[in-house]
Amino acid sequence: MRSLPLFSSCLAALSSFACAELNLSQPLLSKQVLPSTFKPPQVFKNVNLVRNTNLDKAYPRETINVIIENIDSKPQSEYYLPFESSLISRVGGLEVKDKKDAEKGSFKVEVVGLDEQSSTEFYLIHLPTPLAPKQQQTLSITYSVLSALAPVPAKIAQSGKQYLQYTFSAYTPSVYVTEKQKTKLKFPSGDVPDYTTLPADLNAESKADPQKQGSTFTYGPYNDVPAGAEQFASVRYEFTKPVIHATRLERDLEVSHWGGNLASEERYWLTNQGAELINQFSRVEWQKSQYMNPASSALKNLNLPLHPGTVDPYFTDDIGNVSTSHFRPGRKENLLELKPRYPVFGGWKYSFRVGWNADLSTYLRKLAKGDTYVLKVPFLEGPRMPEGIQYAKVHLRVILPEGATNVRYSTNVPLVDSTTSIHKTFMDTIGRTALELHAINLVDEFRERDLIVTYDYPWTAGYRKPIVITLGMFAVFAVTWVLGSIDTSIGKPKKV
Amino acid sequence: MSTPLLDVWEAAASSPYHPSIAKDSQFTLGAFLLLIALLLAGVFSLNRSILSLPVLGVPASLAFGFGAVYMICAVGVYV
Repeated sequence: MRSLPLFSSCLAALSSFACAELNLSQPLLSKQVLPSTFKPPQVFKNVNLVRNTNLDKAYPRETINVIIENIDSKPQSEYYLPFESSLISRVGGLEVKDKKDAEKGSFKVEVVGLDEQSSTEFYLIHLPTPLAPKQQQTLSITYSVLSALAPVPAKIAQSGKQYLQYTFSAYTPSVYVTEKQKTKLKFPSGDVPDYTTLPADLNAESKADPQKQGSTFTYGPYNDVPAGAEQFASVRYEFTKPVIHATRLERDLEVSHWGGNLASEERYWLTNQGAELINQFSRVEWQKSQYMNPASSALKNLNLPLHPGTVDPYFTDDIGNVSTSHFRPGRKENLLELKPRYPVFGGWKYSFRVGWNADLSTYLRKLAKGDTYVLKVPFLEGPRMPEGIQYAKVHLRVILPEGATNVRYSTNVPLVDSTTSIHKTFMDTIGRTALELHAINLVDEFRERDLIVTYDYPWTAGYRKPIVITLGMFAVFAVTWVLGSIDTSIGKPKKV
Repeated sequence: MSTPLLDVWEAAASSPYHPSIAKDSQFTLGAFLLLIALLLAGVFSLNRSILSLPVLGVPASLAFGFGAVYMICAVGVYV
């Protein structure tokens, strides 16, 4: 009977794994919840809409350029963008700019959900200045959709071509009437064996739909599409490259004033979402083909371009040091070339950590007055691959020196959460101040985005470490003297 | 695109942070201070008195405190 509790505990452990796996796709965004009767007010119309879907990388990148017009009698500033509930949790990096004045920066966007039964949720875009009646504005909406491409066929041979399928609505989902619109798809090559053909009478110009031009397909134009209309279409195209998906990335940046060093460490949990192998993996076949270096759906290597001045890189995984890496210092960038222990085929996973050091003077400046410091670091540094990388969850931790206070930060990467906590490690007494930032659904295009952190660090806090060690050592001297002064001899005490 | 903190970063362009002891000198200084601490502790152990406690113990403790910080940085654990 002893096996029963063991069995139940195993079951409980397995179910917790299953829960953890499921939680990965849960949106972390805090959102405003509206009643199910809510309908976005019909105060705008889309005069002209062009959607560009770029399928060059292993995730679709959508750019919607739309001219909106206020058809209400009052100025309006809230524009709703609808998504299905299952899709909105995979939409990442949604940014809205004024197409004609991109310098002004991104508009404020937030997620608005309806109650649990509803299958539609919205991104609410706040226009910085309300649009007057009958006025027009051109919006440029960009976002990426993660885990949106499915390999068809789902299983291929080791050296076979990989095809991905993308399903979308030929009518761009909108809660407003769209007078004129079209959707352009850009494929990585002209090899598109299957695609949905829509009836020519839907098309405004009564042409065959889609129109093909090399590796670009155009669905539309369509006239006067009502609000909420959808017309699903699928495309299947060749993509014999790995579909790299990081289920989690943890990135630590540790600032050391004493050492004048910025230590970076990144921990990756990668998976290849491409087609799985139909047969067993054959090392012989793999090794034979490597001489020719053919296109493959397996992940063979990762290139991390690091800033110049980077030193001491390391690359380890669960087993230990991975010796198949090269570090090539250069004038513009220091290239860290990583080769995983095994080629990562579809459905396979690989987790590893990389780290490096850099001089702090490049990243940290001191303000002229007071004890305030300003730190500017890249938010994301990961690999730069032609096929791109998608990050489902990113957890960035900036570990500041012990005693740093008044931490403020600024970044244009969309975040879902930020906290300040205490991180205790070597030679710490009260622990170091750590700024923790969480982001979801990022892609490798966010590599160049910066994070700026300011903090106060009084010089007295800086001396905490050596003073604590000094006091400890002095206590040892004092105890030695006290213990050495105790007279432990047998017999009467000597009179001096 | 300009943000307030980016302006702060630009304003401080002339004052990048440099530690008082450069990375290359950390090992030499750390080893030197630890050696001094060891020598002073040795002398203290030969002559333990109430007077030698502040005269030898305090400089030895200070040398050990700063020496330990620099040495641990020099070996790659940047505290």
